[in-house]
Amino acid sequence: MESNKKYWKGLEELKTTPEFVENNKGEFAESLPIEEILSDAGLKAPTPRRDFLKAMGFGLGAVTLAACQKAPVHKSIPYLIKPEEVTPGVANYYVSSYKGHGILVKTREGRPIKLEGNPACILGEGRLDAVTQASILDLYDVSKLKDPKLDGKDATWASVDTFVKGELNKIQAGGKKIRIVSSTVNSPSTNKVIADFVAKYPNTRHVQVDAVSYSGILGANQASFGRAVLPHYHFDRADVIVSFGADFLGTWISPLEFNRQYVVNRNLASLKNKKMSRHVQFEAGMSMTGTNADVRVALKPSEEGLALLNLYAVLGGGGSAPKLSNAKAATALGLVAKELLAAKGRALVVSGSNDIATQTIVNNINTLLGSYGTTIDITNPSYQYLGNDADFVTLIAEMQRGEVDGIFFLDSNPAYNSVLPKEFAEGLYKVKLKVSFSERLDETAALCNVIAPVPHFLETWGDANAVAGYYTIVQPTINPVHNTRQAEQSLLIWSDNAIKNYYQYVKNNWETSILPGAGLSWKQLLQTGVVNSGAGANAPAAASNAAPAVNAGNAAQAILAASAALAKGGESVTELTIYESVGLRDGSYANNAWLQELPDPVSKVTWDNYVALNPKYADKLGVTEFDLVEVKADNYSVVLPVLYQPGQAIGTASIAVGYGRTKAGKVGDEVGKNAYPFLKLQNGSLQNAVAVTISAAGGKRELAQTQTHHSYEGRNIIRETTFNKYVQDPHSGTGKHGEHPTYDLWPEHKQIGHSWVMAIDLNACTGCGACVVACNVENNIPVVGRDEVIKRREMHWIRIDRYYSFQDDQGASLTKEDQIGDLAEGDSTLEDVTVINQPMLCQHCDHAPCETVCPVIATMHSSDGLNHMAYNRCVGTRYCANNCPYKVRRFNWFNYWNDSRFDNYMNNEFTQLVLNPDVTTRSRGVMEKCTMCIQRIQGGKLQAKIEKRPLRDLEIQTACQQTCPTNAIIFGDRFDPNSAVSKALGNERTYYVLEELNVQPGIGYQTKVRNTTEAQQA
Amino acid sequence: MSAHNESILREPLITGENITYSKITDDVLVPVENKPNKAWWIGFTVAALFALLWVVSVGYTFYVGIGAWGLNKTVGWAWDITGFVWWVGIGHAGTLISAVLLLFRQNWRNSINRSAEAMTIFAVICAATYVVSHMGRPWLAYWPLPLPNQFGSLWVNFNSPLVWDVFAISTYFSVSLVFWYTGLLPDIATIRDRAAGVRKKIYTILSFGWAGSVKNWQRFEAVSLILAGISTPLVLSVHTIVSMDFATSLEPGWHTTIFPPYFVAGAIFSGFAMVQTLLLVVRKVMNFENYITMFHIESMNKIIIVTGSIVGVAYLTELFIAWYSGVEYEQYAFLNRVSGPYWWAYWSMMTCNVISPQLFWFKKIRTSITASWILSIVVNIGMWFERFVIIVTSLHRDYLPSSWVMFYPSIVDVCVFLGSIGLFFTLFLLFLRVLPAIAIAEVKLLLKSASDQVKQKQIAEGHVKKEEGEAYQESLTKYDSVDYLKV
Repeated sequence: MESNKKYWKGLEELKTTPEFVENNKGEFAESLPIEEILSDAGLKAPTPRRDFLKAMGFGLGAVTLAACQKAPVHKSIPYLIKPEEVTPGVANYYVSSYKGHGILVKTREGRPIKLEGNPACILGEGRLDAVTQASILDLYDVSKLKDPKLDGKDATWASVDTFVKGELNKIQAGGKKIRIVSSTVNSPSTNKVIADFVAKYPNTRHVQVDAVSYSGILGANQASFGRAVLPHYHFDRADVIVSFGADFLGTWISPLEFNRQYVVNRNLASLKNKKMSRHVQFEAGMSMTGTNADVRVALKPSEEGLALLNLYAVLGGGGSAPKLSNAKAATALGLVAKELLAAKGRALVVSGSNDIATQTIVNNINTLLGSYGTTIDITNPSYQYLGNDADFVTLIAEMQRGEVDGIFFLDSNPAYNSVLPKEFAEGLYKVKLKVSFSERLDETAALCNVIAPVPHFLETWGDANAVAGYYTIVQPTINPVHNTRQAEQSLLIWSDNAIKNYYQYVKNNWETSILPGAGLSWKQLLQTGVVNSGAGANAPAAASNAAPAVNAGNAAQAILAASAALAKGGESVTELTIYESVGLRDGSYANNAWLQELPDPVSKVTWDNYVALNPKYADKLGVTEFDLVEVKADNYSVVLPVLYQPGQAIGTASIAVGYGRTKAGKVGDEVGKNAYPFLKLQNGSLQNAVAVTISAAGGKRELAQTQTHHSYEGRNIIRETTFNKYVQDPHSGTGKHGEHPTYDLWPEHKQIGHSWVMAIDLNACTGCGACVVACNVENNIPVVGRDEVIKRREMHWIRIDRYYSFQDDQGASLTKEDQIGDLAEGDSTLEDVTVINQPMLCQHCDHAPCETVCPVIATMHSSDGLNHMAYNRCVGTRYCANNCPYKVRRFNWFNYWNDSRFDNYMNNEFTQLVLNPDVTTRSRGVMEKCTMCIQRIQGGKLQAKIEKRPLRDLEIQTACQQTCPTNAIIFGDRFDPNSAVSKALGNERTYYVLEELNVQPGIGYQTKVRNTTEAQQA
Repeated sequence: MSAHNESILREPLITGENITYSKITDDVLVPVENKPNKAWWIGFTVAALFALLWVVSVGYTFYVGIGAWGLNKTVGWAWDITGFVWWVGIGHAGTLISAVLLLFRQNWRNSINRSAEAMTIFAVICAATYVVSHMGRPWLAYWPLPLPNQFGSLWVNFNSPLVWDVFAISTYFSVSLVFWYTGLLPDIATIRDRAAGVRKKIYTILSFGWAGSVKNWQRFEAVSLILAGISTPLVLSVHTIVSMDFATSLEPGWHTTIFPPYFVAGAIFSGFAMVQTLLLVVRKVMNFENYITMFHIESMNKIIIVTGSIVGVAYLTELFIAWYSGVEYEQYAFLNRVSGPYWWAYWSMMTCNVISPQLFWFKKIRTSITASWILSIVVNIGMWFERFVIIVTSLHRDYLPSSWVMFYPSIVDVCVFLGSIGLFFTLFLLFLRVLPAIAIAEVKLLLKSASDQVKQKQIAEGHVKKEEGEAYQESLTKYDSVDYLKV
């Protein structure tokens, strides 16, 4: 039985007095003085026990969870004392210059990460070309030398100085010769240093030799004007431009400047004024300039001189030239002559030949046309190329005779890029003191006993004088990374100059000779970067510099002889032209991964050079595309794959120089074959056309092309018109047929504030590829290498689509593969090809097909009209890329920044310093694409917000737009009716690619307008 | 003639002498209760080696990235999604047989539904492996599921057909699995009752306490019908949704309203072909000739003709619509299929899927085991090509010719595909060893021996008019497609 007994604690409980009930509510009958005790001990106890336990439990759990996360270890060194001008996260810009072009260097936390044009630069006007954009990568090149070398071993500068000085004194005492071999030096300070050095060692002579030489023009101008200089051309003042093999938009002399000038008479503004220049190109290989020409005539190199003589004769220059056997060219030449005469004073004839006689005739033609003083300025010449081919031959002879005991190579690599590498090496062997100022152990440095490595131009002081009266300063933006020393500094030390510090030397030189004239202080100069004193390059040139026509007789004789020699072999030989490629130029950029992967503007080939042959001619030679062929000249031969190049003249082949480096570094070694030794020294200059035989060598080598289908299949993605049709109806060719109702499946995206869009003028785009490289730099785009490009996995966010089309007998356009195939089967030579370039990037569609199919909403629309990509959310189904009609999405097939198979760029910790910290590097398995440089948009918006003002038009520029030499790309806000982009998109020529899909693309294109011969005659 | 018309006795669905219920149990459980024979071991070893190849190749892909495959900037899906759709399609016959044929009271399904359902499950597993392995970041494969998460307000994109696909496939897999397992319960109980030792314990757990009571059977029947009702829409919906992975896109060649019915027909087509491929071997090796008879083979061949013809009509319709639409991209896509660089894939598909099944119009071919088996393989090859043609030849040349490319598979692509076949067969062979390949309980329903015996007895005892008796005897062979006694 349970007990029901109850024991009372006391009478209070029995009576259940109100006090007892009250006291019994708590745990303890009397309240305990916990508060007092704790507050005496300086503690507070409002926290009840349960809350304490909760806090403990949560704390323990949280700490445990936090400890589970493996915290990444970042190696970073904080600023001990923060430099005043460096704020982490905020970029600093410094002026500098590269090859005479004024640039702005963007640095972040002390490291340069991007180059942009200096708007004050008269050559680029704020724009840069592909190679300059890419040149920043060379700063972080792991293949460069880290220490000076003496006899192949690492040495200290002191030991190098002792050795070189000792040797120099011995040579001086022995009366032997000293030579400084360099490419063109137009830096006033460097020239002064060299002059000082020559003064100290009088047996010294400075030999300038350019790998790609303009000796022909220099020689011709010597003959015509008594000055061995390049004239300063003004394509913007020319209404009729006729070029004979000069790739002036791609590589010739000053392509960035010429691009900018060229488009002035062909762009949106010019067309609005119903004005368009006319450009006729005669050439053998298909150059980038040729792709832009209104009329392009394929012409063998052996016919080029004849054509010029014919033109000269027709223009009234006298003399009689043998008739051109090429009927098409003869007809074109007749028309061109008329047009040139009609445009007297607004005409320009240029030639890419390096032959003195040919250039003399060109000078005479330009004189007849009144070009001097209008489109050509010889009074204020260009100093961009001063190398003399003949001087180099003399040097080799001197070395071979053992007269030279000391030689210095400054920005010069003759062991690779000279026409006589064997003779050069033999001669060099006899020289005692061989000093190379190279930044890497290149082909020439490998033959030298002293290597005094030089820093990258972003680590140095210097200056340049690209055009008469136009000076630019080079200032360092980072301390030398390696143990390197400027060549000028070395020369100052070795010549015991009073001023040992080159910075001081440059400063003194400017303060005495240049700055006073410009009225600038040194400090101001370091902010403006350029001095355009007096005879500025854009000032109208005086008419007085017109040249007296020199006697053309001798020149004509020489041309005829050369042409005959070239064509002597008849059908059995092929005329080979050696040209510079737009990406690698003379080969000094060979170790630059961005440029190696930049598709050639015409062939879209990366990572290789090749023999460009007309398909019809290849047929005749019995070879097909990618077959390896042996190209054999008198004393040199290479084996290279064949590339089918429509437009290439029958009976000709083209090979690019700049490839076949053996000691460029780990990116550039053994890419392609060296074509320099094909050049032939004749009549005092290097001739870039030689007769060769081509025969199948057996085997194939596939070229890594980013585009393998070359016709646009008649699709209305490309819309073009002719100039006279445009004048009659600006809408012509856009395919617009009035308004029509549209229907949407999806609700409209709400856009507030801004709506970012872009306009691309197909008539302004020359296809140079500067945008591609600028985008690579800005957005940390991986380089994938040749094998992956063959697998069609290049990562470029912006590409330039290039399509070929042909015409049938009736003049109708043939754009389809099968039509072109039929044409090729017939009699057509495939020489008359029309080319169009179309930059293609994410169109930021308002009804983006990629957005609807992503299962995880990794890609979505922003409130300002952009198509966003959230890398972190992407799981990599790739459906978005499949569903993109423009095929602009790029997938990270591998972990490019951490995969030893891609050891050419991002995989290296040192090279990673070039990465833009504002842009995430993407891991493998995620999709990426053009963001319209969202980091720049956000930056611009923030800046405006800080300054409490609305955004200004063109304040935010995408990287592609910023660098575009021709201003073909305009980015901006559609909601601002006065913005440049709104105006451009409002233009009658505007159309949208694949607009019929109703994806509502955000990028409008302006039709291509061609100033064809028919258009002219109409 | 007789005064009344008596329904003729149907051809028995199970053949053989002296069939009794216990004999059926004994026959079907032979592979489960005995050590495997040599043929099984050889098959299993080969299959397991290929499954290992799958592990290695998928592991390699996970390690280095999708770059291990032959895909590129233009062709983002190729062998992976081809394999996925192929396997999902193969899985279709199982549901059709188990659900639709059940609802239509097609009792002949009872002999084949178990294996077909098992095949469905294994095929869907293979398909699911592709779903995960084709992802760039497979460790995040759960993100397309609408799970509550801590990523803020992140949710899946219900507009995306890939999300529909996730629902469709997971529903399909779970319903198929439940249906299959429910059907297995009485059979597992049968094994349990005959087993001893550890096996008995395992099968006891697996049988869920099946007692064979009337209530058990009643509920079993009810559940089967309900599940059949649920599954039937899935037959149509799953491949409809898979087809929408393509149909809702913008790609010429994908953006087609005909896709749902065309894909469903194709799926049934390939599913039956795979059932044929498997069962023709199984019945031979496991001596199931009396259960899977020529009647089954012929019936399935008839379904193959019908679905194959539907698919053929769909192919021609696509071509017609492409031409009729006047859309140049659409027209080019189909012209390119027929005559482009992948013409051989298109014509392989046409030959294997449209022309070869028409051979089944000939009774001789339809009832030939060898011919049926070879043609079933041909159909499977053809259906693989169909998916390859749809996916790769549409993608490789779409709107902008600048991006036109060729797709070449890498060795890893090939290994993953062969490996998935190995995985499938490994699972199937294991299934044959541990579970009855024929639904014992359901097959027993088909035993018509009692009525035949009664009739024969009546005839023998003269209770039946002579002509009626003769008509009955005649009907036994007259309406048969085969002389089953010879089979």
